[in-house]
Amino acid sequence: MKTLSVFSVLLFALAVCMTSCGPKDLDIQKTVQTNLSAMPEAVNVAVTVIDGEVTLTGNVTDDATKAIVESSVAGIKNVKSVVNNLEIVAPTPDFTELDSIITSSLTDALKDHSTVSATVKEGVITLTGDIKKTELPILMQKLSALNPVKIDNTSLTVK
Amino acid sequence: MELTNKYKELIDIAKQYDITVSEIGNVLKIDGVLPSADIKNKMWEIYDKIDPNFRSGDLILDVKVSAQIGGKVKVITQSGNLNIRKGPGTDQPIVGKAAHHDIITLVGKANEQWWLVRDNDGEEGYAFAQYLEPVRD
Repeated sequence: MKTLSVFSVLLFALAVCMTSCGPKDLDIQKTVQTNLSAMPEAVNVAVTVIDGEVTLTGNVTDDATKAIVESSVAGIKNVKSVVNNLEIVAPTPDFTELDSIITSSLTDALKDHSTVSATVKEGVITLTGDIKKTELPILMQKLSALNPVKIDNTSLTVK
Repeated sequence: MELTNKYKELIDIAKQYDITVSEIGNVLKIDGVLPSADIKNKMWEIYDKIDPNFRSGDLILDVKVSAQIGGKVKVITQSGNLNIRKGPGTDQPIVGKAAHHDIITLVGKANEQWWLVRDNDGEEGYAFAQYLEPVRD
């Protein structure tokens, strides 16, 4: 007898929850989306809300952003908890400026090495052609001073 | 770890002179100022010994010899004359020449690649720093 009534109370509670959880979750979802859309660094963040628990998935560029996103969500009305599954993914570096600085210095660096050609991409200087063994260290020194990421001379014939 | 083991001999020298050693991606960078050209040349010889013809491309050795403005520099071209130009660039007109192994005066620096010098004929202009070795008095 007792178990039956406990059961029916529970069922009643569940039913109430199910009809009133929905709209609150939707409100939370809406507010979260609005907040996050104002944060360009949260462009790769996805949100699900179930029973007032907000789950964040996707990625951000650093720990600070991960924390900021979580706290901006935690303060929203009716949010009971936040599950932060955001991953940190470092941004891909932009080599445009470095490449252009290196390229502009290459003509001078190669002036005395007419049989050497060079290209630059993402900070990596790639050499082709040929060079005398005695001149190679001088060329390497000139290129090292240009702050490259790497000097690849594997295609350069050393005589 | 591997790179610091491979280039240990160079890193040990770098530490003696307070030179920065860093590792970015799979490339080691040794970067700083040395008191003399002898040490710089020695480091490059060691580099070539460890990695013949620098084929691995896993080290950027960028060590410069400290140069005093007003001090003397030696022309270290392979064998020929060093062009002294009106401005800092190989597209600039040549205003003079300094002979191989001449000792001339360092007047200033436009940037790390181009230094302002005065040769022994009194001609003043820019020369490629790579061919100038600071001499200690």
